[in-house]
Amino acid sequence: MSREKLQKLNLDLPLLPTTSVGSFPKPPSLLRARNDAAKGKITAAALRAEEEKATAFWMEAQEQIGLDVLVDGEQYRGDMVVYFAEHMPGFEIGDLVRSYGNRYYHKPIISGEVRWPGPITVEWWKFAQRLTAKPVKGMLTGPYTVMDWSFNEHYPDRKSACLALAREIRKEVEALLEAGAKIIQIDEPATSVRPEELPLVVEAMQVVTDGLPAYFITHICYGAFRRIYPGMLEIPVDNFDLEMANNQLSLLDLFREHRFRKDISFGVVDVHSHVVEEAGAVGKRLERALEVLEPEQVWVDPDCGLKTRSVEEAQEKLRVVVEAARRLREQVANRSAPAR
Amino acid sequence: MRLLTASAGSYPRIGKTPDLQLLRQTITQREGGKKTDADLKAAEDALTGAAIVEQAGAGLDLVTDGQIRWYDPISHLAGKLENVTINGLLRFFDTNFYFRQPVVRGPIRWTRPLLRAEYEMASAASPKPVKPVLTGAVTLARHSIVEHPPYQNDFRQLVLDYNEAVAQEVRELAAAGASVIQIDEPSVLQDPASMGLVEETLKRVASFKGTARLALQVYFGDPGPILERLLALPADIVGLDFTYNPGLVEQVAAAKPGKSLGLGLFDGRNTKLEDPQTILRALDRILPCVQAEECYLQPSSGLEYLPRDRALDKLKRLVAIKNQMRN
Repeated sequence: MSREKLQKLNLDLPLLPTTSVGSFPKPPSLLRARNDAAKGKITAAALRAEEEKATAFWMEAQEQIGLDVLVDGEQYRGDMVVYFAEHMPGFEIGDLVRSYGNRYYHKPIISGEVRWPGPITVEWWKFAQRLTAKPVKGMLTGPYTVMDWSFNEHYPDRKSACLALAREIRKEVEALLEAGAKIIQIDEPATSVRPEELPLVVEAMQVVTDGLPAYFITHICYGAFRRIYPGMLEIPVDNFDLEMANNQLSLLDLFREHRFRKDISFGVVDVHSHVVEEAGAVGKRLERALEVLEPEQVWVDPDCGLKTRSVEEAQEKLRVVVEAARRLREQVANRSAPAR
Repeated sequence: MRLLTASAGSYPRIGKTPDLQLLRQTITQREGGKKTDADLKAAEDALTGAAIVEQAGAGLDLVTDGQIRWYDPISHLAGKLENVTINGLLRFFDTNFYFRQPVVRGPIRWTRPLLRAEYEMASAASPKPVKPVLTGAVTLARHSIVEHPPYQNDFRQLVLDYNEAVAQEVRELAAAGASVIQIDEPSVLQDPASMGLVEETLKRVASFKGTARLALQVYFGDPGPILERLLALPADIVGLDFTYNPGLVEQVAAAKPGKSLGLGLFDGRNTKLEDPQTILRALDRILPCVQAEECYLQPSSGLEYLPRDRALDKLKRLVAIKNQMRN
């Protein structure tokens, strides 16, 4: 059980730790600054100041809401893949491609050998960690997803592109650990796209994490889990952060068939809906989780990053997460307390 | 044997210039109450027109409306049928594109034409014939959440009821003058066991097509394992994705197809431009083996998975290669 690993890392977390998946919405002032920076109207330093202000805002918000494991909120990132592509030699940034509905992103193009340029996220992690005594997760996008969400004009095949990325992303993990990070989340939302490539996801994650002293989380979402479960448990991480609310908890049926034997960050609120769920309804989702999972396995968070919601909606959804986890924590404590 | 060039479905609905960002802006402003439904339709018309101009300008013989109005390939049709509502996001095959899942809550019923007006607008705006594209019943059913109990243990009936809607759409499109109507069934490549259902549904749809020709399009997978059965289906044209299996060219040539093919030799999912010699070799190998009046050189799938500039580059190269064949 990964609780032992957390203890070894001196991470003292409560039962049902609360966290979030990574991104938070950018406040209007930052959106304006990003727009102005893109048009050359403000300097890079002025944009950085706005990003720091927004990051500090979210760090304080997370503290106030009462989350246990914090994130920097990715105020300095646009898209989770594009951000790394913008920093790594070997990539070009392509024109816009649709993600869903009316959402678009600049899909990167691998046009040369990819290379780690030196620390990419480390300064932001340090900035966020300085603002809190709670642990802040190091947040990276995994090699399989970076490969899958990029066009490839350089490497002969998907595997060689993915493993080249894995070798470079490992260097960023090492830099985060050197800076003091103990929990590293490596997002691989593309994991289920080609079930036959699950061994490649496993191999690439092994390259990234092998032998490194951290508690590793991977976030996977919006996939055909039935096609990769239970094989996906072979991915060498401690915790799987999964969207559960969006698919109406249907993954629990899979967990009944094959025991979920690692830790899970259990997504309990839908991030693509403006509606803020009632804490009671969210609590019921968690109770259903504990029908098939041990409380010691479960972390609680939203389904996915909250960047598509408004600042207020995101805060409300996080409050619901924390409230539901607190209530359930009490219930579990009462259940396990000896009868008088 | 004539070699024609065609689009395989969607086209990017955004681009670098402000006029190509109109639809995105209008949707956002409409959600904020600053634009009306009429504004949205005008933006959709403008971007549809732009997609047609680019396809026709590249020299394609058969274009589409780019499916510019489609939220995604599933909910645009399914969500407008009676007793079907729309749910959360799910990844569309192995793309990084997400669709909204239909929830079937009662008997599926078609109540009104869904695509005819879209086709008529596109056709009027196009200097080249427009091919309307529909998602097939098996693919619609495979991507649905089924809450209506009679369907829960009867997938075939779910497919057949979706197919009645597809058939009615085909009837409307044929009546509106479409000469080629495309049915997309990518799901059959992941689920070859549904081949019988594809055959059954196409047979029914074919009875509604009038003088139009029916094109079956499969993509996002290797059609090799079921090639012979695909070629035997009741479709006038069979469109294939060649990007998953380098051996497919030889396999198709050896099959000596007795009908027109859509040759998806251009990767609709990667920006890398195809090597003309490789494409020419494939055409030289396949075309003499096809016993039909014409074949279509086309992308492997819709092009909205590419940035607009790269999508247009692909079409231009595709036409250039076709012209090389002619010379």
